[in-house]
Amino acid sequence: MAKWPETTRLIGTPIPRLDGLLKASGKAKYPSDVRPEGTLFAVMLYSPHAHAKIKSIDTTAAEKMPGVKAVKVIDAIANGVASGKGATVHFHGDDIAAVAAETENQARDAIRAIKVDYEILPHVATEALSMAEGAPKVFDPSNVTQGRTQTRGKPVESMATAEVTIEGTYSVPMITHVCLETHGLTVKFDGEDKIQCWASTQNVGGVAGDLAGLMKLRPADVTVYTDYMGGGFGSKFGMDIWGKTAAELSKMAGGRPVKLFLDRVQEHLGAGNRPSASAHIKLGANRDGKLVAMIAESHGTGGVGGSGNVTLPYVYSIANTQVAQSAVRTNFGNQRAMRAPGHPQSCTLTEGAMDDLADKLGMDPLEFRLKNLAPNDFRTPTYEAELKIGAELIGWSEKHKPRGRNGSGPIKHGLGLALHQWGGGGGPGKQVSCTINSDGSVELKTATQDLGTGIRTVLAIIAAEILGLKPTDIISSIGNSTYPPGQASGGSTTTPTMAPPAYDAVTKARDSFFKKIAQAVQAKPEDLSLKDGQLWRSGEPIMGWKEACRKLFMSTISETGSFQQGLSSTGVAGCQFAEVAVDVETGVVKVKKIVAVQDSGLIIDKLTWESQVYGGVIMGLNYGLFEERVVDTTTGTMLNPDMEFYKLAGAADIPEIIVRAYEPAEIKSRGVIGVGEPPTISTAAAIGNAVANAIGVRVGEWPMSPRNVLNALGTASREGKA
Amino acid sequence: MREQGPKKPGGPSGHSRRDFLRGSGVAAATAVLTSQASLALDEAEAAEQEPKVLSGTVDVSLKINGADRACKIEPRSTLLDVMRHQLDVTGPKRVCDRGSCGSCTTIIDGDPVYSCTSLAISCQGKTIQTLESFDTGEKSVAYAFHQNDGLMCGYCTPGFVTACKAFLDKNPNPTLEEVRKGLDGNICRCGTYIGVLNAALAAAKAMKGA
Repeated sequence: MAKWPETTRLIGTPIPRLDGLLKASGKAKYPSDVRPEGTLFAVMLYSPHAHAKIKSIDTTAAEKMPGVKAVKVIDAIANGVASGKGATVHFHGDDIAAVAAETENQARDAIRAIKVDYEILPHVATEALSMAEGAPKVFDPSNVTQGRTQTRGKPVESMATAEVTIEGTYSVPMITHVCLETHGLTVKFDGEDKIQCWASTQNVGGVAGDLAGLMKLRPADVTVYTDYMGGGFGSKFGMDIWGKTAAELSKMAGGRPVKLFLDRVQEHLGAGNRPSASAHIKLGANRDGKLVAMIAESHGTGGVGGSGNVTLPYVYSIANTQVAQSAVRTNFGNQRAMRAPGHPQSCTLTEGAMDDLADKLGMDPLEFRLKNLAPNDFRTPTYEAELKIGAELIGWSEKHKPRGRNGSGPIKHGLGLALHQWGGGGGPGKQVSCTINSDGSVELKTATQDLGTGIRTVLAIIAAEILGLKPTDIISSIGNSTYPPGQASGGSTTTPTMAPPAYDAVTKARDSFFKKIAQAVQAKPEDLSLKDGQLWRSGEPIMGWKEACRKLFMSTISETGSFQQGLSSTGVAGCQFAEVAVDVETGVVKVKKIVAVQDSGLIIDKLTWESQVYGGVIMGLNYGLFEERVVDTTTGTMLNPDMEFYKLAGAADIPEIIVRAYEPAEIKSRGVIGVGEPPTISTAAAIGNAVANAIGVRVGEWPMSPRNVLNALGTASREGKA
Repeated sequence: MREQGPKKPGGPSGHSRRDFLRGSGVAAATAVLTSQASLALDEAEAAEQEPKVLSGTVDVSLKINGADRACKIEPRSTLLDVMRHQLDVTGPKRVCDRGSCGSCTTIIDGDPVYSCTSLAISCQGKTIQTLESFDTGEKSVAYAFHQNDGLMCGYCTPGFVTACKAFLDKNPNPTLEEVRKGLDGNICRCGTYIGVLNAALAAAKAMKGA
């Protein structure tokens, strides 16, 4: 089994990313910045209706508009109309047609000139509408798919004999990815049989494969570039209908480059979402705080595809469970993976119920959780250690008070916490090449891409560590589908999958280098080493790195590395604490402080690692406080597909955030594990629990918006509970 | 950002689409129209009688990053789109395209402005600066963003760097609270605000030592 070095000079320290200055100076060229000579601009026509039949579509006028070079009706629409039966659009934002023109304004004008004859159909654009008694049956065989009830142990009997029980409904809304760079690409043909493409993607290899398949070319004849990309969060893995359409428009326009990036509205509507989830949960424990049973019914929607399933219970060990889930289909764009798919929902629903039961037991919520960690789970000791660190950093023992004892004025203070878990491991099959040239340059290559997580820098740090150089001495070449196969960036797998082959490639290259120059420097290869930018012989520095590389003369060292067991691992824990102030007169929640304690094996770059954790927390804060899709139930259209009424935190909304890596020797020795997903999972749950602690009332509906907080207070007041 | 509100740049200088629609912007735009542009105006008037595509173009010259850039544009084109689609000035990014997120922030006559809600035609004769023209040395805003990791995917970063530079030029000694408010007209989805705030404070400190 391979092992990382015991002591490291660079690995684990904070190192600014290699491309940081390029990004901060506006010189980094994103796919949406690229405009090859002769570029045509493409614009999509999408459905203004939540559900409609297209009886006819006429593009004649659009085709004659100034500057228009190609008009394409999406195949499914064209075929439906041609069949005489009509075609169906299933959501506001569903694709209909596209135009490529010399300018974007011309393309937009032409889009407006396409005549579509819609027959508006009944819609079910929200879960409530879709599940309602007498709802129009929009989907086959039904709007709601009832999953099989999963039972473990004897939940009904155990619940009946549990000494303390609670029952509540907890729900999280559907949110959208809001990638700042919208989905899209620029694509052009070189002759008949070669394609070049600049795509905003999490998977250069996948997009190349998709385009090759579409155009019946060999994968090697398609080159996809993603030097940088403006956010994906799980929603950008393939060429999508938009990439297909752009390539078809390019072909129709004689191979000219076609640039197609969605507008902000369609990005919200059709480029993915995190499904909603709602659960009615009964949770029972004995007086000593040991959980005995959970009975839950949940449903959620991820748009037209349904789903929205969650994992209940999340994290905790309960011997007797009964969980029934329904997938609800709605007239909204289909879900896509979004940063820790399923976990934020599962965490929030479970942790809400956990906190309510702790309150009823009269037990400290932290102590209650410690009592119910799975006894044989490898994560349990990590949770215990992390909870201790987190509790100290938030001041739990001094500040935490039971519910409803948090001040007599209108501003109530509260603390909450939540736990999470994720896999995030590395796997075999990917490669990194390492080249050492006689001018001293070192280049690593692999067909992965940087979503902003810093993989370019991570690869350089590994090479610099082994070669005794600085990270800035290394050329880290990624974002090109023709490079050795690299990892698609999803599930926190990029770093743990790419770090091992990088380590292997550079180690092999170094050893080949020693062999090659040994004679020229009068040494045996095994007597050579590299440190501080110098070549060392038997413990003495003999020459600088560049001079040593000149001993290669005309030759070049090139090695390809593959996955090595022992350098990466899978499975992390983590916990977060939130401190909030709630104004019970206005319902406004202000988050004062968040503490995130996270393990992720061996950390390569502490600076970008911390940024990832801060970013996860802030994305979780958005989920906990602000984000929701607002739908007009009459038309079924989304009312806030923008960035002013679809709320995201700005600088003034950011609380004090303390990030702490949990990395004792036994965690570090596990090797590299990804950190993209875990830190975003439990933030919203911790905030919701802090709100309940502050105001003495459970706000069961996330986000913790003034409306939801006041509704919960109003209901409690009517029921005489607050 | 200007004091009229971080999410509504423009205001007195009349750059916003809202002003344009209210009428004052139309007057401002009309004042700078050249004779070629009257074609577009005629078309606009004609369009009121019968629906017709307004596709007139006008020759303009924009002073961007110290260079006079001549181009043919439609009167309805935003400064952002002209820069990105015609002049390859791609530092400013198009994200919300309606004055909410700040990714397109550009400095016009010294003020930070959302270039997605500024008409290019109204920017003639003005000094337009994008971040590509900023200093990137060790005492610069860009360098502070780099060192403090005030960026992840980096797509909001040009807007933040530009807003930060404009803010620090007018507020060289900000407190953390002032920085939070000063940069509140920009949105980041990766959640890189902690790095951004640290970068702004570090840049303020470095610039004082310049």
